[in-house]
Amino acid sequence: MSWPERFLAELVRLGVQQARARRLTEDTAAQAAEQACDPGGLFGPPHLYARHLVAELAAPVAAPPRFTQAGPVLLNLTGVGKRYRRRTVFDNVDLTVRGGEVAAVVGANGCGKSTLLRICAGLTRPDAGQVRRTRRVGYVPQDGGTAGWLTADEHFTLFGAAAGVVPRRARSTGAHLAARLAWRPEPAQRAQQLSGGTRQKLNLVLGELHAPDLLLLDEPYQGFDQGTYVDFWRQVHSWRDAGRAVVVVTHLLHDLSTVDHVLDLGEQR
Amino acid sequence: MMPKPWLHGFLDLCLLAMLRERADYGYGLAQRLAAAGVADVPGGTLYPALLRLEEQGLAVPSWAPSESGPRRKYYEITPAGLSVLAEQSAQWARFRSGVDILLAPVGEAQ
Amino acid sequence: MTALVVAGLSAREVSRRRTAVLLVISLPLWFYLVRRDQTGQSIRMLSLGIGWSISTLTLFVMNASRGVDPRLRLNGASVAGLVSGRLLAMSGAGALLALGYWALISLDQRVPHPFAAGLIMLLAALVAAPFGSLVGALLPRELEGALALLSVCAVQMLADPAGLVAKLMPFWSIREIGTYAVDDTGIDYLWRGLTHFAVVWIVCTAGTLAVFAHRLRIAHYPEP
Repeated sequence: MSWPERFLAELVRLGVQQARARRLTEDTAAQAAEQACDPGGLFGPPHLYARHLVAELAAPVAAPPRFTQAGPVLLNLTGVGKRYRRRTVFDNVDLTVRGGEVAAVVGANGCGKSTLLRICAGLTRPDAGQVRRTRRVGYVPQDGGTAGWLTADEHFTLFGAAAGVVPRRARSTGAHLAARLAWRPEPAQRAQQLSGGTRQKLNLVLGELHAPDLLLLDEPYQGFDQGTYVDFWRQVHSWRDAGRAVVVVTHLLHDLSTVDHVLDLGEQR
Repeated sequence: MMPKPWLHGFLDLCLLAMLRERADYGYGLAQRLAAAGVADVPGGTLYPALLRLEEQGLAVPSWAPSESGPRRKYYEITPAGLSVLAEQSAQWARFRSGVDILLAPVGEAQ
Repeated sequence: MTALVVAGLSAREVSRRRTAVLLVISLPLWFYLVRRDQTGQSIRMLSLGIGWSISTLTLFVMNASRGVDPRLRLNGASVAGLVSGRLLAMSGAGALLALGYWALISLDQRVPHPFAAGLIMLLAALVAAPFGSLVGALLPRELEGALALLSVCAVQMLADPAGLVAKLMPFWSIREIGTYAVDDTGIDYLWRGLTHFAVVWIVCTAGTLAVFAHRLRIAHYPEP
């Protein structure tokens, strides 16, 4: 398939109407022509540019200020710091996230993004500063966090039981949340037999099974294909619109256009 | 040159301002931005912004042949575009004067 | 409720590891067959084998849950619920194994106190679960934990049963009650064995709970 054909196919797959997708494809070809470039050289791989374009077109030019709808503070970090032995991982981190907001934590590898998220969850203690947090929290680690020999349904039962939900209800909730990520768990498939992306979907569902007010997500889309990636961000925005707070650790810079706060841990030092 | 995250917020405003001056096509706008010292905008950032202006009715496109090579899509600002531009330039002016005050060395601030 | 769900799912998790289950079941049999000519030794070896295999199984089950447990805690599960659920599942599996081998030796051998012979297998399994989990809690890596269990079982087998070292080992009760069951010694052997079992069980269970309560502690932040 040529670049425009793949671009068109991806737009349609992302839910753009046929006629509009064809028009956008023609425009894109003309834009490449006026710069005397081939489309791949100007815009990069067709599926990535399609995704980017869809996200850009969805954003209003004059965005209404979102803070008017923000809810109560659900997470508040003041002067939080963490040391390992003598090494300071980060220092003086301030972050406030309200209901209806999305915060992104960015920074180079090893700057403590995951540690900060674990501190927000309460799994790691900060060495300095103060954390205030709503009680109901969902945490999705970067990897692991599932039991390899259990099926998705059994995970729902287990995580539901921990939150005091009866098994039948936990399973139906899990199936419902999985469907929103375009996933239908196979009854007999164990977690270790799932592909990386599907296991992350399981991880996400487990994180929100007990309807937390605050979701802490540590690069949760590793192994996602583009369609799932778009589904994921749609899901994040629907959580936000439902008044929940979301903190996402990410290394993808183009995610940042749709979030309310960006915390750059790399710049802290 | 403008740092990338700044550009993201101001690209629409810059494009509308340039279109107010005269209708132009994508590559021409990119060159004007670069000449003004604002930014070297890559095609992957510029064209989605133009398409967005078009889809939201702030600019209308028209095709015109070029002396050399393929036909070009010229954009012209609409009345809706002009009002958004006016509104956003006022916001920008307020924002800029606020930042200027903060940036001015202590003692010189008015 | 959490404990029961955790117990049920742990049992299911283990039952899916077919090869491991087969090895766990067969390990005591080799111990038994090697010493089959000597009644007392063979039964004691068999029980020690049960203890070894169940403690190793528990060690691995505890380690396999390391990724899940912090998240379950965040969802609201208690440390006691999680730990007791897993111990319940492993003790149950051990009791089944003991029952099976008791049936086997009842057919194969005659001993003065057959119920006491069954009892030591059961006690071996019941003490193995918290002992394995304590080792797993203290040595979180599987290889280290497995080697530690190997050392303890080897010392238990080789040490002089009357000496202090043997008494400090977790499976000493097996030797004591085994002597009563096979050699028909005084009933005080039985009581000493039961007391030793109770002490080891309590120490290991409490130790496991303490280590996990520390490791799985959640910071309680004030509400904003």
